[in-house]
Amino acid sequence: MSLWVDKYRPRTLDSLHYHAELTARLRALASSGDFPHMLFFGPSGAGKKTRVACTLRELFGPGVEKIKIDQRVFMTPSKRKLDVNIVQSNFHIEITPSDVGMYDRVVIQEILKEIAQTQQVDLNAKQRFKVVVISEADSLSRDAQAALRRTMEKYMSNMRIILCANSTSTLIAPIKSRCLLIRVAAPNEDEMSRCLNEVAKKERFDLPPSAAQEIIQDSNGNLRKALLVLETLKMQSPDLTGPLTIAKPDWETYCHKLADMILQEQTPQRVLDVRTKLYELLAHCIPPDVIIKTISNRLVDNVAEPLKADVIHWAAFYQVRMRLGSKKIFHLEAWVIKVMSLYKHFFYDVDLTGDFED
Amino acid sequence: MSTSTMSPAHNQLVDNLFGMSRGDENADEMSFGSMTSLLSGSLQPKSPQMPPHSPRPLQHLTETQETYREEENTMVEEDFAFTSNGLLAGKESSQTETTTDGSSIATPASAFNEVDQPLVSNGLLSSSMDEDDDNAILNPRLPILQGQGISRNPARIPIKVTTFDGKNFELRRKRKVGTPLPTLHNIASASSARPSRLLEVPIHRLMEEISVTVAQKLTDEHVASATTPVRSTPQSTLWVDRYRPKRFIDLLGDERTHRETMAWVKCWDTCVFGTSKSKGKKRARDEDDGEPTIDLDDPLKRPTEKLLLLSGPPGLGKTTLAHVVAKQAGYDVLEINASDARSGQAIDDRIRPALESGSLIGSSKPVLVVIDEIDGATGGGDNTGNFIHKLLQMAFEKRPRKGAKKSANNANRPLVRPIICICNDLYSSSLTRLRQQSRIVRFNRAADVHLVRRLREICEKESLSIDTHALNNLVNASHGDIRGCLNALQFIKSRNQPVTEPMIRAATAGMKESESSFLNVLTDIFTPLSKKRAKAMGIREIDESKYVDRLQRLIDGSGSTDKVALGCFENYLNYRQHDISKLRKAISWLCAYDAFSGGMRSEREYGLLGYVSYFLVPFYPVFAARGGPRIEMPKVDWENFQRTKTNEEIYKSLAKGNQADGVTNHRPPHLRHLLEQQVLRLELAPLLNRIISPPLRPVNNQIIKADDKARLNKLVETMLLFDLRFVQEKTEDGSLTYRLDPAIDVFVTYEGKRAPDIAPSRYATRHMVAIEIEAELAKRQAQQVAFSEVARPSMFGRRPKTINDMISSLSDGTIAIDPADKPPTDFFGRPILIKPTPSVTTAAKNTEEAPQKKYKVGFRFKEGNSSAVRRPVKVAALL
Repeated sequence: MSLWVDKYRPRTLDSLHYHAELTARLRALASSGDFPHMLFFGPSGAGKKTRVACTLRELFGPGVEKIKIDQRVFMTPSKRKLDVNIVQSNFHIEITPSDVGMYDRVVIQEILKEIAQTQQVDLNAKQRFKVVVISEADSLSRDAQAALRRTMEKYMSNMRIILCANSTSTLIAPIKSRCLLIRVAAPNEDEMSRCLNEVAKKERFDLPPSAAQEIIQDSNGNLRKALLVLETLKMQSPDLTGPLTIAKPDWETYCHKLADMILQEQTPQRVLDVRTKLYELLAHCIPPDVIIKTISNRLVDNVAEPLKADVIHWAAFYQVRMRLGSKKIFHLEAWVIKVMSLYKHFFYDVDLTGDFED
Repeated sequence: MSTSTMSPAHNQLVDNLFGMSRGDENADEMSFGSMTSLLSGSLQPKSPQMPPHSPRPLQHLTETQETYREEENTMVEEDFAFTSNGLLAGKESSQTETTTDGSSIATPASAFNEVDQPLVSNGLLSSSMDEDDDNAILNPRLPILQGQGISRNPARIPIKVTTFDGKNFELRRKRKVGTPLPTLHNIASASSARPSRLLEVPIHRLMEEISVTVAQKLTDEHVASATTPVRSTPQSTLWVDRYRPKRFIDLLGDERTHRETMAWVKCWDTCVFGTSKSKGKKRARDEDDGEPTIDLDDPLKRPTEKLLLLSGPPGLGKTTLAHVVAKQAGYDVLEINASDARSGQAIDDRIRPALESGSLIGSSKPVLVVIDEIDGATGGGDNTGNFIHKLLQMAFEKRPRKGAKKSANNANRPLVRPIICICNDLYSSSLTRLRQQSRIVRFNRAADVHLVRRLREICEKESLSIDTHALNNLVNASHGDIRGCLNALQFIKSRNQPVTEPMIRAATAGMKESESSFLNVLTDIFTPLSKKRAKAMGIREIDESKYVDRLQRLIDGSGSTDKVALGCFENYLNYRQHDISKLRKAISWLCAYDAFSGGMRSEREYGLLGYVSYFLVPFYPVFAARGGPRIEMPKVDWENFQRTKTNEEIYKSLAKGNQADGVTNHRPPHLRHLLEQQVLRLELAPLLNRIISPPLRPVNNQIIKADDKARLNKLVETMLLFDLRFVQEKTEDGSLTYRLDPAIDVFVTYEGKRAPDIAPSRYATRHMVAIEIEAELAKRQAQQVAFSEVARPSMFGRRPKTINDMISSLSDGTIAIDPADKPPTDFFGRPILIKPTPSVTTAAKNTEEAPQKKYKVGFRFKEGNSSAVRRPVKVAALL
């Protein structure tokens, strides 16, 4: 028994609920014997991992679900030790190189070489190759991606790579051109409500349509979140009737509060208050990208039409700067001040011409 | 001080001096005058030349004596020595290791040696005597000089000798047979090289001559005294060396420091010279003052701390102090500084021999070792460590056992000479051990007034015209580093111009600029330059606008630009209220700074490091304002960094399973998709918190509603899945609480407030859940055990003991022995004697408890597993 998200995760391609075309295509690929490198991309909670797992099962049979977790130690060139958890079965291996930050290149090189240079020894295996699943591929560093591209060609006979990413924008073109790109879109409302009802049926309770609707609205196409919310609601109030309050994640609420603060007042004192809040968010390990994105979304909802573009523009601008530097708080605050001054200017004198200069 | 209070020696001297021309009043007065001038000259070098026919010689003497006493009033006990010093200095100077004669070797006495000794011998003795005055003094030919009020017959006074083991014994002197007692008379006649008993020149003339020459000499020396040696010194020497203080009273700076050092060195007297510090005068405050004391338990009567560690910033005169004190206390100095090899070997090769046999051939003074810059050579790996280790070893060696062969424990001789270590950074890591074991004297900068006065004197000597203001500036700029000041002055002098303030500034530019602390740098960025400081730094009005270079240097000098940036970040919002455009300017500079340094680091282009500080300079024109809020140390960022780290750990423990008992307890692999970083932080953590806190009522397990029961079960399972527990804890006020462990509830707690939609779970509820979790865990364990017992049946079920243990415990009598059971025998059939070892008794205790448990005994014949001994054992024996 486990969380519902996990418990009712489809295990085979047949049991997938939506994207039937995609499923058919995956099945065809798996049975053809000519399996390419693949890059699954799509929004979070759309079912990329689930599809990867189902495809693997289609390729290798149920043996792929016999999984063990290894802790491997890698040595960086500077003699630092890295502990990496590796999930593997006899037929595939899953790594998340972004766990080790800037040293992901080492991990990629070591593991891929090791896999690529050994052939499948199990004669009963359905396929002659092994599969390496790399999750969070969009946070791979340049070096790691470069290390990947040659191996992908050279060891094609022994190994296939499946990359999982939220967006392909941070992947270098050579990698993209070597992969079959598969987009896993977020499920639409009907598909989601079907999934929710299925879960409710299996758990033997009734999901009122109003509740389902609310959950779907809230989760914004993220099925994983929807299922978690459903479980939460069920725990909080078992009958699921009456007015439901769907709790937003706390960091999100906090970000919204912060956005409102920016718009209420534009003084140095307010900047100071905002700074404390930003620190609070960072201390809760909320990624700064997410912070800036959430706040700007909220801001865009609440500012006048002419300002919306600017808010987003500067959010993007400072997000890039943030990647270049190391002190995230500087850039977050710079963005806050920028937005404040834009907002103030907009209200008191409508001269915004000079603002794109710095 | 009048003649009557003078010591007998003094009187005797006077007698001797005037013995021949007694009755001649004129001569009497004259010679007295000369003597007084002699005394006053030596005691008070700065007093104006004393005319030989001064009408108030005694009064003057008294005055000088008094002033001296005022200056040195803590050394009261030595005033007798002062009295006699002027006259008996010659003797003092040659009192060496074999110091004799009881009377104190007063500290200041030896300071005057240089000046006085030639005086005495020149004035009163012939030149031939002067040449070997060591001889003259040791050898009791001079009745004038040996008296010292203790014995008039030095031949009877044994010489005390201290061996290197610290033993004292006495050498008796033999009187040279047939040596005529020299008198002033025959000395004088010897100088005139005439056998006649009459003087060629009348004595009063002679005396006058002497006094005039003496006076002349004194004037000369006075002019060049203390800070100023004779003018004829070659110009090539550094002023620093030329004006290095030669005597204790010339030392600049905190007198307490000097005296403390001196007192420590004097503490060695008992050990080194065998003289005992006047016991009767031992002041009461000795005990509570923390003054160096002689270790009473030490057979060698050494000070409690065997090493002295002088510490302080450079240029204050630590090395000079060590040398002066050593000389004054009658030691030769062996200096070991950073230029010398400093390894453990050096101790054996250089220091130990020097300590034991003296450094100079022909000099019989004991040696004091000065180890300069002891913190300097830390870069040399273990060398310094080894050095300090050996040093300590040497210093704290125990006295060898009596009867032990001397040659055998060659290295085991105790330290019998003082060692002074000098360092700049007292808290340097290499000095850790030394610090604990030595007496530490900290150096502070001398008061500016004194420094300026001394510099002025020197400038006068060097005929360098300089105004006090400029000197003040110089002293300020150098932070009391007198060496730096002197070097700067000499540099200025070499250009032969009158000194002006700009020149001082030019010469001191760059001096000590790296000393500015981080907070000062921040303050300088946020406050405009005050007029006073601008003047001090020589910045004219026009230049004041040119702040970039000044600030850039300042920021670079602070060491950590990152810290300054952080300081700017945390302070800039307190300035310029209500001007958001200024804030924008500032923060964009900070961003640029961060991006720049980030880029530099990732590309490893450290050549750009020199430009980093420029990014922080723009804060000055934007923010610098008088009377702004106080600059504070940045600390918020650090606090948040700490919190982030803690929270990351919690996430990690949630994602990877607890690793408390050393075994990594991995999460089930099927959960891995939920536990990825982003998903975990953004989706799972907040929702999981809600899932595990349903609104449950704390009711008894029996009467719980089916609905709630299901929820409770689900809760328990979820918590077990993620290894979450409620841990009971006692709060400060004594009430019990249950804490969630790992504390994932921090992720719904922002600014100390929990999310409002999560019902605060009460103690009773948590208690109930905790009990349920325990029950569930126990159930699972039981299942596990049952499973494992089925899975791998072992030979005797759970078998905690060996058979022998069993049997021995059986024979212990605590358990009923089966009468049929034979007494235990070993492999060869001999009866086993049980030794009452603790292991056996504990085994017995175990078996005491054992019968209460019912062992499941399973039997399984394992083919091919042969035991060497096969013997029948009854099941009953095992149960």
